[in-house]
Amino acid sequence: MDLFDKLVELRKDGLAKIKEATDEKKLNEVRVELVGKKGELTKILHSMKEVAPDKRREVGQRVNELRDLFNEQLDGTKEEILKALAQKKLEEERIDVTLPGKRGHVGSKHPIYLILDDLEALFIGMGYQVVQGPEIETDHYVFEMMNLPKDHPARDMQETFYIDSENLLRSQTSGDQARVLEKHDFAKGPLKMVGPGKVYRRDDDDATHSHQFMQMEGLVVDKHVTMGDLKGTLEMIAKHVFGADRATRLRPSYFPFTEPSVEMDVSCFNCDGKGCPICKYTGWIEVLGAGMVHPNVLENAGVDSSVYGGFAFGVGLDRFAILKYGVDDIRDFYTNDVRFLGQFRKEDK
Amino acid sequence: MLVSYNWLKEFVDIDDLDVNDLAEKITRTGVEIADVAHPMAGLKKLVVGYVEECVAIEGTHLHKTLVDAGQDEKLQIVCGAPNVAAGEKVIVALHGARIAGGHKIKRGKIRGIESNGMICGLQEIGFNESVVPSEFVDGIYVFPADADVKPGEDVYEALGMDDYIFDFDITPNRADTLSMEGAAYEVGAIVDKPVKIEPVVLKEDGAAWTDSFSAEIDQKLAPKYYLRKFSGITVKPSPLWMQTRLWNAGIRPINNVVDITNYVMLLTGLPMHAYDARTFKDHQIGVRLAEKGEKFTLLSDKKIELDAQDIVITDGTKPVALAGVMGGLNSEIQPDTTDVYLEVGVFDPTLIRKAALRHANRTEASSRFEKGVNWDNLEKAENMAALLLRNEAGATVAQGILKAADQQKEPTVIKTTVSYINKVLGTEISADEMKRIFDRLNFESNFAGDELTVNVPARRWDLAIPADLVEEVGRLYGYDNIKSTQPLLAETHGGYSEAETKLRRVKSIVQGQGLMEAISYSLTSPEKAHAFVKEAKADAKIKMPLNSSRSVMRQNLLEGLLDAASYNFARKENELFLFEQGRTYDREGGEFHEHEHLAALYSGHVYADNWQHEDREVDFYFVKGQLEELFISLGIKGVSYRAEAISGMHLTRTAGIYLDGEYLGMIGMIAPSLTFLDKTLRGHEIYAYELDLDVLSKYQTQGTKAVPAPKFPAIERDLSILVSDNLTNEDVEKVIRENAGKYLTKLQVIDVYQGEHIESGKKSLAYNLTFRNDHDTLTDSVVSKAMETISEALIAKLGANIR
Repeated sequence: MDLFDKLVELRKDGLAKIKEATDEKKLNEVRVELVGKKGELTKILHSMKEVAPDKRREVGQRVNELRDLFNEQLDGTKEEILKALAQKKLEEERIDVTLPGKRGHVGSKHPIYLILDDLEALFIGMGYQVVQGPEIETDHYVFEMMNLPKDHPARDMQETFYIDSENLLRSQTSGDQARVLEKHDFAKGPLKMVGPGKVYRRDDDDATHSHQFMQMEGLVVDKHVTMGDLKGTLEMIAKHVFGADRATRLRPSYFPFTEPSVEMDVSCFNCDGKGCPICKYTGWIEVLGAGMVHPNVLENAGVDSSVYGGFAFGVGLDRFAILKYGVDDIRDFYTNDVRFLGQFRKEDK
Repeated sequence: MLVSYNWLKEFVDIDDLDVNDLAEKITRTGVEIADVAHPMAGLKKLVVGYVEECVAIEGTHLHKTLVDAGQDEKLQIVCGAPNVAAGEKVIVALHGARIAGGHKIKRGKIRGIESNGMICGLQEIGFNESVVPSEFVDGIYVFPADADVKPGEDVYEALGMDDYIFDFDITPNRADTLSMEGAAYEVGAIVDKPVKIEPVVLKEDGAAWTDSFSAEIDQKLAPKYYLRKFSGITVKPSPLWMQTRLWNAGIRPINNVVDITNYVMLLTGLPMHAYDARTFKDHQIGVRLAEKGEKFTLLSDKKIELDAQDIVITDGTKPVALAGVMGGLNSEIQPDTTDVYLEVGVFDPTLIRKAALRHANRTEASSRFEKGVNWDNLEKAENMAALLLRNEAGATVAQGILKAADQQKEPTVIKTTVSYINKVLGTEISADEMKRIFDRLNFESNFAGDELTVNVPARRWDLAIPADLVEEVGRLYGYDNIKSTQPLLAETHGGYSEAETKLRRVKSIVQGQGLMEAISYSLTSPEKAHAFVKEAKADAKIKMPLNSSRSVMRQNLLEGLLDAASYNFARKENELFLFEQGRTYDREGGEFHEHEHLAALYSGHVYADNWQHEDREVDFYFVKGQLEELFISLGIKGVSYRAEAISGMHLTRTAGIYLDGEYLGMIGMIAPSLTFLDKTLRGHEIYAYELDLDVLSKYQTQGTKAVPAPKFPAIERDLSILVSDNLTNEDVEKVIRENAGKYLTKLQVIDVYQGEHIESGKKSLAYNLTFRNDHDTLTDSVVSKAMETISEALIAKLGANIR
């Protein structure tokens, strides 16, 4: 057999062996056998002296071609083997992606703060400052400055938690109005504030009463503030919180610290004004009280009521939350049942 | 005030208006109409019947009656009422009738006897028992013998049930509408129709009496006090037309004399009171403050003990009425009363309100006096009552009114300008238009250019200043007609205060850590108020608490969260990650202080139940880790923890938290002694922290000056030592830090061991130290030298063994 025949045979055998190698180790053995330093191709090169000189060039060329072929096949097979290995490993690592994840704890805002944060954002956007005052207030700020005369029913021991004759737990956030009015320098611009906070009343707790709840007070005072401005502002609050499709109405009302005083109703979102138990068959739900700041309130705080005027409004945050989220017992806000609180997680904006 | 639509029609022409539209209009313009009731709504086939025969059914309480109900045949009806009798005109529910509550009446048999309908009591056709005349409460209703009703007629008109009853839900300033006249003025103004209120013309027919009667009136208590005298009265039921007006207004008819006082009150708004003349044997009357402890029986039979702030009417010596609230049993109109004194007065509103509250006895009268009454209407009320007493009770009207107190009020005149009213409302209402509005209100107004003067009648005592006129003009112009605008003012910058911004940052971090926000009550018990604080301060204590568990303001938030834990545990909700951000309250040197706090409560597991069985429970170090993360997020460094005893907290698992030596709060486990005492808390390990955010906020920093990430590699070394177990990690870390040189950038505990394999009284601690030079590559030899220095110091200062 001459060298050419040998090469033909080696080519056939070699390719068959490469094909038979199914793991990396065997393939390496084949690689050493075929293209290694002491492998078959090397052997052929070493026996070159037996070849006629004029043929040597051709043999060399053939050998190189065959080496390239083997290397190519060896590399290809190696890649296949590795791929198969990787595939096997992935199979072994398969998990059930439908099993549940491991949960920790998800934080949440209290529903009343959801309402408050939303309103604060609305008013901050319109240039209102958020102001907070003390909860242990004086009779002076809560009542006297707010034009509630000495024998006004709200000042009764029956209605308000008194600490002593002068100090009390504020029954309304309006005291913040007086404090801000006293301090505000109108030379530096108009006064626009909202004042949220806790208030307290001497009520026994039941489904609709709570001795503690939250209010937000609003106050705008400058030289040209009108009842039309108040109406526009109240309608914006109502539509922002309860939906743009709500109808609103203003009714005359009475608060000692505003004159004129109004209350705002929105069309019942349960029955859309047709009448249902939620709106007590009136089609309307009362949502807030407001009015034009009473001249006495301005004068009490040292503001000239012949020059300055404005509007004030008060929002019951618990009431808003009750209406917006359909809560039927105000105590639910204060018992802190995690099953109740947890349902509001998705509400934050 | 329940206002009858039919009665109102006598004063204002409102026939052309739909009742519900009218109610809506009144609500939007004047007084909220909370409800419009139509008593006959839902009722059917209720007719007048005449009982022709009535025989007792033996062995029962029943009667078999034969009733003429205007049908083709007389109806046999079985009736169980005790007061059924032949010759009565009654209410009959025919076969197929519908009575109150939607009940249907069908013919049927009772005890085997055929009954073709039902004879009804007033409650059965929808009357509230409180307005049913007492003789008919326990039986059927019987029409007065002279009632103009015929068998077979519907009963609705005769009983006033075809009326519409408007519930005027007044605000305290609009007590002027607590009368038909006041309501009529208001409705007339709203619908822009004239109001017919006529004066009373009375001719007295009795003898003069006022000179022989003396009155001693404390005019501070009763600035106005009028009395009239009547004789020859026959006490009997009042006519049906008056009774229907009373019960439609929510008042029970009693007898003609009492009913007339109530009727005149409904008409004029002035409560009146009738005394049996035998009460004033000495011909004298007094109005004074009661003596404390004086016993008195009201005509409702209620026995009360008078207070020194109660106003009483006396017969010269003893009380005969609790003024403005209710008469006394000792002066009540009796069936045989013939002579009567009739009082109308004005009493101090505050004292009346307080008396009604004090004796839990609010009445139609007291609710009017406490809001004010029309000072100008007393004489009219007396004369109207006199007319009615003559017509309905056969009274002779003695000549003259005893005006025992008769202070006058200055008429109210308000001056303002058209432009002021428009400026406040944001409108452009012309002077003419405003004039028309005041005309509608029946106010005399005078315009001179922009100037405007309004004479306010006494019936509108709520009006005093220009702003009050703004309201009158605004509401009658119509709030619906005012254009909605936004304030056009100089620009202002909205936002939170710096303090509020910091609080909000804290809240958002802990929410992000998985804590659920709670709100608890600020009022609590003294014991709870003082728990969980390093040092309790003086309390903000309520004078008249609703109950002892809510009597002082909290000095910590944790007690509220613990209540929440108890509530949730009782409902098998054991996984609690709660926080509250709110205030605590105390008193120091006579001043009240409020402090913003944050409290967090943890109980249960780090992870929810999971199939991988990773069920690590929350412990001190988990909670401390959360707190450390909070401090990192707030840019707060140098916090130290000192084992400390704090009331309500576990004695050996609690630390005070300090910043720059200042007490910031505490962290630890709720004391087992505390959880053991509470059935629902028992067996739960609860960890918590509470921070004073007022202190914390001083250290809360914002504003970052960026530093590039380190460019040179760090070298890490581990150090393992054995020390006495009374040394704390902090002791060891202190020595390490002091001796590590300037390249130590991080020091971390990586192991703590105590127990087997270690001699008792010792513990093994292992640390990982990271060194780095920010300006050069650090060499091993520098780090090795630092480690040597540290080891030597630990040996020398803490007697440590280096392992």
